[in-house]
Amino acid sequence: MDQIITHFLAALRAPLDALEGLIASWLPGQQVAALVAFGVYVLIILAGGLLAIGSRNLVRAMMGLILTFLGVAGFYLLLASPFLAFMQLLIYVGAVGVLVFFAIMLTKNNTQGEEANLPKLSNGILGFLAGLAPLVALGPLIVLYGPKIGEKSYQATDTAILGRGLITTDLVSFELISIILLTAMAGGVFLAWRRRPQSRSN
Amino acid sequence: MALSLVNFVVVIAAVLLIIGLMVVNAVIMVYAERKTAGFIQRRPGPYEVGPWGTVQAICDSMKLLGKQIFIPGNVDWILFFAAPVLAFFPVLLLFLPIPFGPYLTALKVDEGILLILAFAGFGVISNILAGWASNNKYGLLGAARAVSQSVAYEIPMIMALLGVIFLTGSMNLTQIVERQGAWPWQWNLAVQPLAFFIYVVSMVGETNRAPFDLPEAESELTAGFHTEYSGMGFALFFLSEYANMLLVCCVCATFFLGGWRGPFLDGFWWTFIKAYALMMFIVWIRWTFPRVRFDQLLNINWKWLLPLSILNLWITAVILKFVD
Repeated sequence: MDQIITHFLAALRAPLDALEGLIASWLPGQQVAALVAFGVYVLIILAGGLLAIGSRNLVRAMMGLILTFLGVAGFYLLLASPFLAFMQLLIYVGAVGVLVFFAIMLTKNNTQGEEANLPKLSNGILGFLAGLAPLVALGPLIVLYGPKIGEKSYQATDTAILGRGLITTDLVSFELISIILLTAMAGGVFLAWRRRPQSRSN
Repeated sequence: MALSLVNFVVVIAAVLLIIGLMVVNAVIMVYAERKTAGFIQRRPGPYEVGPWGTVQAICDSMKLLGKQIFIPGNVDWILFFAAPVLAFFPVLLLFLPIPFGPYLTALKVDEGILLILAFAGFGVISNILAGWASNNKYGLLGAARAVSQSVAYEIPMIMALLGVIFLTGSMNLTQIVERQGAWPWQWNLAVQPLAFFIYVVSMVGETNRAPFDLPEAESELTAGFHTEYSGMGFALFFLSEYANMLLVCCVCATFFLGGWRGPFLDGFWWTFIKAYALMMFIVWIRWTFPRVRFDQLLNINWKWLLPLSILNLWITAVILKFVD
């Protein structure tokens, strides 16, 4: 059965290659396709971001945030790092998103809380400025010193190379991040511990 | 980014085949589950429609298709309709990296298992959305349970898979199968028995099946997060639940039971035989054990499975270090 499938695919390959050549002759190249994908991801991210800040309903705002995470995962795919893309989905959609959902799940869908009212204009302006700050701080650096478009062709990175980097050249930053995470975890346990003076064991 | 047209056609064909597989799988599993339940409870099970009741599942699905889609009052209807769709579509992606046979693999990616784990997260989100959007307290309770359960059981599940990934040195599912032999003592089951046990328990927990079916406990929550869904909405949840069961069983067969490797003749039939044997095991468990309490469910995970999986990972790493 598997052999039949292989033969079938092999027989399919020749006409498909011809068709591919035909399509490639009038289809824009990979560069353009990457630009189109980039545009789609930017649209997804912006739409998600607008939904997240503009929605008067926490759960819908959360859906916007998850849409943004998806778009960012797409960016990682465009940078030829599927490992980061899948980790982005696994951690941010599968864990962080789900846990935030857990926190806001008891809100009603006809919102009556503070989030139901439009924010004050001054708050909006301040929030906009705060969002702009990283752009102002990092943007010029990236434009001046980052790789130019088309200058560097990205190759899919082997996960083994990433891992080896973490325990050799980037060991210090890896350890520092570990310490921060460990501190945060210890802090979380400590806070949760105090709120429950007597936990009854079964 | 060398996604040639052939690969594209293969992926499209695979998605169509996967949709077929999902439907056939659900029909077969409904029949098998009801017959097994009947056998275990000493009753005949479905026997009226068709020979030995085989057409019963098809009749049921026809009935489901013809049902009115009922929208309860005061729901967030965008999210109410988005939830079943969000439950169904990621499942199509999840089957792509599974190596059913030596040539029957739709997408040979290096991070195959990560792709599966990453998009499996959408299933949890669809459960929460369904529970929240249906504006029903049973739905909300079911969703709350689904979240804490899925988040908890995902961790030992990944840790158990990591043991095998340590051994193989690859997250490519095809390579994991190729490193195993044909006979049971050459499978990863023989070298990672603890990981296999942890994976099987958390796979039942992850797919919300009894004895861990608290998100949809009938006697407490009517139907949990999908209480308010009827017709196609319910059918999509139903299809994706059975497809998720098949998926975790396929992953288990790939990681621990040698995948398409088997005695005598390698081929996709071994994957299906192993996966469906595991499915029948899950069905058997469902009709044999009573449902656990929620605190017991979380205690099993956080106090037993998680330390055990860390221990397994540590032992694997130490042995690998000494073998090297």
